[in-house]
Amino acid sequence: MVRRGALTPYLFLAPGLALFVAFRVYPLLDGLRLSFTNARLGRAQYAFVGLANYERLLEDTRFHASLVNTAFYAVASTLPILAIPLLLAVALNRGIALRTFLRSAFFFPFTLSVVTVGLTWLWLLDPVVGPFNYYLKALGIPVRSWLADPTTAMWAIIVTSVWWVTGYYLVIYLAGLQDIPRELYEAAALDGAGGARAFWAITLPLLRPVFLFVFVTHVIGSFQIFGQVFILTQGGPGDATRTVVQHLYETAFQNFFLFGSASAMAWVLFALILVFSLLQFRLLRGHTQY
Amino acid sequence: MDRTLTKVDRRAFLRAAAGATASLPVLTRRASAQPKPTISYWNGLTGADGKIMDELIDQFTKDTGIRIEQQRIPWADLYAKLQVSVPAGQGPDLALIHTIEVPHFANDGVLEAIDESRATAKGFRADDYLPSTWQGGVYQGKRYALPLDVPQHLLYLNVKVMREAGLVGSDGKPKIPASRDELLAMAKQITKGDTFGFSIGTVNPGKYTWGFQNLLWQNGANVYAADLKRAALAEPAAIEVAEFWGAIHAQHKVALPANANCRDAFIAGKLGIWIAGSWNFTGLREAKVDFAVSPVPRLFKQPVVWSMPHQFTFPRPKAADNAKRDAAWAYMRWISDHVAEWTLKAGQVSALRKPHSDPRITGDPVLRTLLAQAPNWQGGQPTPKWVAAENLTRPVIESVYIGQKPAAAAMQDLARQINALPD
Repeated sequence: MVRRGALTPYLFLAPGLALFVAFRVYPLLDGLRLSFTNARLGRAQYAFVGLANYERLLEDTRFHASLVNTAFYAVASTLPILAIPLLLAVALNRGIALRTFLRSAFFFPFTLSVVTVGLTWLWLLDPVVGPFNYYLKALGIPVRSWLADPTTAMWAIIVTSVWWVTGYYLVIYLAGLQDIPRELYEAAALDGAGGARAFWAITLPLLRPVFLFVFVTHVIGSFQIFGQVFILTQGGPGDATRTVVQHLYETAFQNFFLFGSASAMAWVLFALILVFSLLQFRLLRGHTQY
Repeated sequence: MDRTLTKVDRRAFLRAAAGATASLPVLTRRASAQPKPTISYWNGLTGADGKIMDELIDQFTKDTGIRIEQQRIPWADLYAKLQVSVPAGQGPDLALIHTIEVPHFANDGVLEAIDESRATAKGFRADDYLPSTWQGGVYQGKRYALPLDVPQHLLYLNVKVMREAGLVGSDGKPKIPASRDELLAMAKQITKGDTFGFSIGTVNPGKYTWGFQNLLWQNGANVYAADLKRAALAEPAAIEVAEFWGAIHAQHKVALPANANCRDAFIAGKLGIWIAGSWNFTGLREAKVDFAVSPVPRLFKQPVVWSMPHQFTFPRPKAADNAKRDAAWAYMRWISDHVAEWTLKAGQVSALRKPHSDPRITGDPVLRTLLAQAPNWQGGQPTPKWVAAENLTRPVIESVYIGQKPAAAAMQDLARQINALPD
């Protein structure tokens, strides 16, 4: 006998669960099925081709380049994403003048859509009519086509991303900083610790869960980077900034609508994100002791 | 008696009322027996040309009572949208597409074949059109599209920039490059600081495939071999074009950076010699740029000019709707009869011959130049893989443009990628 009312929570969960199954689980599994087919968007007939799409990925040099580029983005953007919002948060946590205004100002870019951010930076970095090069020239600094040069294009995307998400992580860090008990700083001050010592001995260790959260969300987001690349470079120059999702998008929606191949890429990406997520869950297991 | 009369009157009244009510839908149906349909029309006219098309559609609605809901979608998105929505039965009643999209959409069943006799009955006859545009609507012996106009390349010369570089004649007209060497020499003379001598393409010149194709065709090369089965880009003629593509930017630094906006640079007086689409010239006039035009110069063996007619197509509907189809035909007929207005306002030369002798068109120096290029027009090859091959070409030619890859190796890699496209 089911206890009366035992089903009630499930009834409440049902609408959300139904949407989750319809729009998340089903497409995910259907994508897995498609990855074993030669399906093309808009074509009714397709055949099962076994692992052919996955085998083709082994030979797809552009896919390899996109994996390397995605990894480079994830690694190179992590330090600034961890450090810059932290430094700003520490400064804003000190009760400086215009604190509320500055907090809003730093958060503002995050309220913009990725398309707006991308188009703004596309114009800022325009090699001929962009203000960035104009002011550099005025200062006598040599200029270049930041987005058309393979040595700087990915860095330009990283700068854009950092500018965009700094405000979001700043708020997370501020919440973390405000969670640290004041008594710890008072005790440290009584023991003669200066600001820098308190930062290294109290602030940084006690922000560990926040660091981990920022790290995990940023790395997962890095694997999925698309919007900035799509708007700023479309993967160029050449293949210099082509990331996995950009390549996947082109395969599915531009180059012959190859949904089978694109689904295989999506599943490889999914597997990579899963591995990193599991690793990071292990890291998150530790607890912070006050 | 009064009561009886009243009773009879009431019955009669009720009968009459019931009859009237029952016949009301019939009467309503009769009154609006032939309502004018509203048709959906998708195209990629996202620039100033879209607004002009809006104006012409308004005029069409006034003339005929047929309403058109125009959706202007960037071309690349339009094609993805057609590919998805048509099989789902959600496509538009009419779509304007580039000629080169016809083979793959026809091959995938996205487009409905057009009966030639029906087209003839509606007044669309081969003799009225320039042959290459008319033929572009046919794939594997069946007609899928009817041409409207001919976007094409053109040589633009910025008079102010050319004058400052000393490249104007005694008559004040800018000099026109007659060969590749002359073009490079002139471009070097212009290039100084942030002003560049020569570029090809509207935006992102490094990966402007239409410009690359123009040069390929000038050199007698093409993307596919004549049998349309294998890529021909590793042939010496194609490699020679790729070498030139890299030379203008990576080697000689006379062309704008790979991701620059050439149109903005030309308007801002930072670009002297520019090969770009005919769709740019109305914008240059609006921006009051002092410019001259000339046919695309012969930089290789033949003076070929890239062209890509816009074509009307009927995306396959879920169920046939004759009223809507007739309305679509009516619009196509109307715009074809008013195509001179379209040419004059949007700057696109008509695929129909008749307006070519319109004095308003022949009197315009730019339109006259575009018309003079007609014998040299060439378009893409009729294979369903053309567009996919073009997408694969983009990053490869960009890597050559910026000097990241040598031309020969890049072309061999591109040919391999194109040959790997599935059937």
